[in-house]
Amino acid sequence: MTIEKPLPVPTEDTAPYWEACRKHELRMQRCKQCGHFRFPPSVVCPKCTSVEAAWEKLSGKGEIYTFIIVHRTYHPAFNPDIPYNVAIVKLNEGPLLHTNIVDCNNVDLYIGMPIEVVFEDVSNQISLPKFQPLRV
Amino acid sequence: MSLKDKYAIVGVGLTKFGKIPGISTMSFTLQAIKLAIEDAGLTRDDVDGLLVISPVMMGEQHGWAGRVAALLEVSTTFTATMDLGGATPIGMVQTAAMAIEAGMCTVVVCAFGNQNSPAGVPFVMPNLQFTLPYGDVGAIPFQAHIAQRHMHDYGLTSRQLGEIAVTFRKHACLNPEAQTYHKGPITIEDHQNSPMIADPLRLYDCCLNTDGGGAVVVTSAERARELRHRPVYIMGMGQSHSAEVMPPWPAKTEHRGGLKAAEMAFRMAGITQKDIDVAQLYDGFTILVITELENFGFCGKGEGGSFVEGGRLGLGGELPSNTAGGLLSEGHLMGMGHVVEAVRQLRGECGQRQVKDAETCFVNGYGGAPHEYPPTLSYSTLILRR
Repeated sequence: MTIEKPLPVPTEDTAPYWEACRKHELRMQRCKQCGHFRFPPSVVCPKCTSVEAAWEKLSGKGEIYTFIIVHRTYHPAFNPDIPYNVAIVKLNEGPLLHTNIVDCNNVDLYIGMPIEVVFEDVSNQISLPKFQPLRV
Repeated sequence: MSLKDKYAIVGVGLTKFGKIPGISTMSFTLQAIKLAIEDAGLTRDDVDGLLVISPVMMGEQHGWAGRVAALLEVSTTFTATMDLGGATPIGMVQTAAMAIEAGMCTVVVCAFGNQNSPAGVPFVMPNLQFTLPYGDVGAIPFQAHIAQRHMHDYGLTSRQLGEIAVTFRKHACLNPEAQTYHKGPITIEDHQNSPMIADPLRLYDCCLNTDGGGAVVVTSAERARELRHRPVYIMGMGQSHSAEVMPPWPAKTEHRGGLKAAEMAFRMAGITQKDIDVAQLYDGFTILVITELENFGFCGKGEGGSFVEGGRLGLGGELPSNTAGGLLSEGHLMGMGHVVEAVRQLRGECGQRQVKDAETCFVNGYGGAPHEYPPTLSYSTLILRR
């Protein structure tokens, strides 16, 4: 029996993010006053406190800021994947986010590795942004 | 007006702790309160303030402080349930001093209890929508991410992390109450051979799981001098709160990693890091000790790895730390164990693990919500003296 992996449940604040992911677009709020890209989604800009923002599409490119290889997980759904990576990537537009690096052996991961977004359709409603080594 | 030396910790208590099913979070809390009040030579009739830590297992916490007070029939004029994770015990001690100063109460008990598998409390997985779907679960991955980056930026090694685990285990072996007392010491090789949990962190980089409780009693310096034990005075204290690793960065970057919390405490105490005789550093993970030593100014940024080499944190070293074994080897008492050990060191009660003539102790707590988004952390600090 396989245990289902936990899926994100979009909230009032995060629904637009996940809606864009479903269309295979990485979109985040960009402050209309100061231009800051913010993540996680929020009603107010953490830099200038403006509440005016637009959901803009990002390049989907960036680099690995840090990463780990998980050998023991506290959620049984991930046991079959051990050892698997979790990276925090820094996007060219500024935001950082947790993700998995796909199409790359764990031993080949390094801090600073250029990466680009790919989307994994995990249900009818949810596509997860993951990242692969940047293909030039 | 500074509160320096105006308040003191006059009673401490730890329940038995370890893997102890069958005792509730409430029971641990009540037992700890009883122990601390008795240690102070007070009775519950003397207590008019109560601060408690919000139970870790959500679902238990509603009205916690009021229920604890009611079950002990303690008549309070000031209570609060506090939620700073592992920064809470010190946060409570600080709040106690402030509440007494404000005239809200005169004798405050600060208490903690935790049963990791509470009967009748359903476990609900929170909607950690930006981490959990990627298999990033719990507190260990967060610190592992930090360790990886630290290794990249400054050349920290796993063996250096191992030094911390080995040292604190050695201390635990001098503490009969410690969870690992009977397990005996470990070596660097044991650390290196311990299973990888979240590479680069191994099993021995991670703290224990603990059921147990602890409490301390805070009152004014004048009142303290009439009581049973030599008072342990609060010389300095501080807090800082920040988002870390992930943006949004706090507007003031000096809040990161507890920088401000330590700076405030040292400024209030009017002493420097060199004047600290013994330290109790929040050691949920070995890497956390490295970043704390750096951010609190005990060594320079990036120098934590070499700082912990050569037994510097051991008994007889330059900065004997976590003398009871810490979260890594005494038990995860959410930082209350650190406060209790600080008091016992300054009272000179620590037997074989006593730091000779210890007059000052630096203690810190760390907590918050590192697994939420953005990861947010609270640091709290105390400088205590006898």
